[in-house]
Amino acid sequence: MSANTPHTLFVSDLHLAAERPQITAQFRHFTGSIAPQAQALYILGDLFEYWAGDDDTDPLGAEVAAALATLAAAGTRVYLMQGNRDVLMGAAFAARCGAEPITDPLLLDLHGTRTLLTHGDALCTGDADYQQFRAYARDPGNQAKFLAQPLAARREQMLGMRAQSEASKQQKAEAIMDVTPEAVESLLREHRYPRLIHGHTHRPARHNHTVDGHACERWVLNEWYQRGGYLRCDAAGCTAVML
Amino acid sequence: MIKLHTKHGVISIELDAAKAPDTVANFIQYVNDGHYTNTIFHRVIDGFMIQGGGFEPGMKQKPTRVPVQNEANNGLKNDIYTIAMARTSAPHSASAQFFINVSNNDFLNHTSPTPQGWGYCVFGKVVDGTDVVDKIRKVKTGSKGMHQDVPVEDVVIEKAEVV
Repeated sequence: MSANTPHTLFVSDLHLAAERPQITAQFRHFTGSIAPQAQALYILGDLFEYWAGDDDTDPLGAEVAAALATLAAAGTRVYLMQGNRDVLMGAAFAARCGAEPITDPLLLDLHGTRTLLTHGDALCTGDADYQQFRAYARDPGNQAKFLAQPLAARREQMLGMRAQSEASKQQKAEAIMDVTPEAVESLLREHRYPRLIHGHTHRPARHNHTVDGHACERWVLNEWYQRGGYLRCDAAGCTAVML
Repeated sequence: MIKLHTKHGVISIELDAAKAPDTVANFIQYVNDGHYTNTIFHRVIDGFMIQGGGFEPGMKQKPTRVPVQNEANNGLKNDIYTIAMARTSAPHSASAQFFINVSNNDFLNHTSPTPQGWGYCVFGKVVDGTDVVDKIRKVKTGSKGMHQDVPVEDVVIEKAEVV
């Protein structure tokens, strides 16, 4: 497996934020030196810690967009999926990144293997309150209502949410429950037993599921709170790489 | 009619036993057993809903009876100031926790008898004290341990009664 084998990279849960400049630096290194070797880069949600709307003039958003646009201009296709933190990220921001927005879930042929991509929060069906909230946050009417508020008001509410989770130590405060086996099996069955790649749970690993006699691989991407990393896939399979 | 007494005021709720017989019977039994006394609205999201009936102050969960059948296919909608049962992702898992909608939450309505489409069962509406609901929806919230959107100052149901 040389660097020049056609390959695709996957990242998610970077949670980029102004208070973690060292992680933003890792992201710049990743998009500047590593990703240009790949045919495509898929970002499967939670690129940012919070996203108040595509009209946000926050410099971090501009910096990230510039890095991805440079990558895309150099020939690597960039794809952006919404997560739960950046559920309001839209087509306008994707365009600034030179990226194509993609829906959740997305089925594709990945160097010869049928692969399904999803952020992962929809699979945590054990978290009843979250699934109820997810329905609320993804409702287009509610999103439109929220985005109709002035940017300053939206930022203030987002900062309130940020203070809330930082007060209880970010990663633990969310108490992100893991995906439930039933939800995973149901998804794999629905899409005819693909390989699955997702994030959200912050439990990077490779799992094997047998569904209706079919062996399916499930790859979970790492979060970038402490250290960046990515999944590299080519015709021979996938490998997790830390920065 | 149910009255929930809180320090913000009294919330009067008219229950629809015709449209949600099992849910209403279950709820009334919790009221009469004193279950809701000294429970809190532990999850408050303005613009969405206020949820309570499951925890004592300090987030101590109260034991519940067996769950009830989901009656969300009764045609009642999760409109603002209606009361509905909270549940897990298993459609028929509601027991004691309930929530009061503070918006027209169409996306919570029943669409089909499938795990994704069952929706949340509406079994009544606030007929007096919507101003109290509005006070509660605006309280400051934060995280408490694993829980988010928890009112910083406890919103306690001091008494729940059938009138």
